[in-house]
Amino acid sequence: MAVLGIPILEDKYPVTMDMWPLQAKEFNRIYKFYEHLREGRFTTTRCRTCGHVAYPPRVICPECYSEDLEWIDLPKRGKVLNFTEEVRGVPLGFESPLIHAWIDLGEGSPIKRILSRIINCPVGKLQEGSEVQLVVFEVPSHPIEVKKDTKWVERVFFAFEPVEK
Amino acid sequence: MAAKRNACIIAGGMCKWGVREASLVDMAQEAAKECLEDIPALKPKDIDGFLFATSYAGRCSFQVNTAPVIAERLGLKPTSICARVDVLCAGGSTAILMAKGLVESGMADIVMVAGGEKLYTPQKWEVFYSELASIDHDWDAPNGLGLPPPFFALIAKEHMKHYGTTKEQLAWVSVVNYNYGAENPKAQFQKKLTLEEALGAPPVVPPLTLYDCCPITDGAAAVIIACEEKAKDLTDRPLVYIRGGAQASLHSVSANWPGEHLADWAHLRVAAKRAYEMAKVGPEEVDVAETHDCFSISEVVEVEELGFCKKGEGGSFVESGQTKIGGKIPINTDGGLLSCGHPFGATGIRQGIEIMRQLQGRARFQVEGAEIGLTHNLSGLNVEHTIVIYGREPVK
Ligand SMILES: [Zn+2]
Repeated sequence: MAVLGIPILEDKYPVTMDMWPLQAKEFNRIYKFYEHLREGRFTTTRCRTCGHVAYPPRVICPECYSEDLEWIDLPKRGKVLNFTEEVRGVPLGFESPLIHAWIDLGEGSPIKRILSRIINCPVGKLQEGSEVQLVVFEVPSHPIEVKKDTKWVERVFFAFEPVEK
Repeated sequence: MAAKRNACIIAGGMCKWGVREASLVDMAQEAAKECLEDIPALKPKDIDGFLFATSYAGRCSFQVNTAPVIAERLGLKPTSICARVDVLCAGGSTAILMAKGLVESGMADIVMVAGGEKLYTPQKWEVFYSELASIDHDWDAPNGLGLPPPFFALIAKEHMKHYGTTKEQLAWVSVVNYNYGAENPKAQFQKKLTLEEALGAPPVVPPLTLYDCCPITDGAAAVIIACEEKAKDLTDRPLVYIRGGAQASLHSVSANWPGEHLADWAHLRVAAKRAYEMAKVGPEEVDVAETHDCFSISEVVEVEELGFCKKGEGGSFVESGQTKIGGKIPINTDGGLLSCGHPFGATGIRQGIEIMRQLQGRARFQVEGAEIGLTHNLSGLNVEHTIVIYGREPVK
């Protein structure tokens, strides 16, 4: 866990320097999104005042500024509209191949399209029109200080994977 | 009622761009020196405002509140404004638009607009890792989209799918811009590029190959924006007015992309419409432009959305030589991002310098009789578009 070469940071995890969201409720008012991911649900917020669905989830409605929001489920399956496959030069923290897809979540979805990473998929497998589905995985946990105690916070994130393995 | 004040760009300079053995503060000094050498009558003490565009000073130099730090090193003692501007790749153009407002409102008379980035940190992994901060941290960065090639490769595939654009047409963007930059001593690369070389280059993210992508760059640049009265006192060169501009930011997270598909840049059309209206010119009146060629495909989409050609015809527009000297509208005549490199906050300022020189008749590749010039930037994961329109005459 030490940061090599920075003696004053020895045994520290500089969580503000990694690419994963701070998900603990002490630091995030939309922490339920991540709790839902752990339950296999892909969710966002809908305004009870005007009905607007926003993604990503909010603490106010961006249309009417109401705070009266509820959680709703988004489709967990979609169709690939286009995609790219990166083999060389993948950034630190990600594995090759790094595949991205522009995904159509379907006519019924309040959020039409999403750009996501595709995992569990070799190069050459994905096609335009391929069906993909939500997949949730663990990402590095980190310590937070709560009053005088140190609490270890586990984290998750999501991507999509081909439906046909 | 007092006469309307007009803002002019009257001088500019930049340091050598590339992998520099210098700090951000060092490069800012080099750029400011060249900028003031471009206008001998102006002394540092005459400059009353300072804007510094940088995005990575906080991350790569562990320095926030950058403007006072740099102003002091440059011998400036601003009394109207001294502030940092952060819009990543569009920071320089944004600061120029802000200086226009400050000068025209009467809040400032003479503003130095500078910008720069020091991106090459002592260890290579950190150079690329830092870039993960370029996009929406909680929603796009965790998908590995911080380094931009995958997203722009996707845009290229969408443009090919919807409009039949070819890899060879993309390569022509690189060939034209590299061959302009080959004559620019401040560019990161002084390399003449052939179509064969461009097409035979190693892949980055297919269909993009090496010369389709701008490099990572250290660099700085500076310009002087002054009110017309002061400008007339300070220089005998033809005056170049900032006629208008716009910045449109319609989304941040990629899922909220504003176009019909990824090769449809609705947010650029919104910015262009407003900028043309403010400047009281149309795209057909633009004589020379600097577009944001962070990738070859970007310039293809930009010439369409800026109205220089029809939607879907950007590839054939470039392939047929319309962006070369003698073409319909010469573009990136100093080499663009592809050849000059891209130290984010400095890029819009470099573009402003080239357009100023074009309109003053002293560019390296001169567009004869150029009267109207335009610069364009996008930033981050293509989340906003910024346009500045310059002219030999003020808006009447
Ligand atoms: Zn609402």
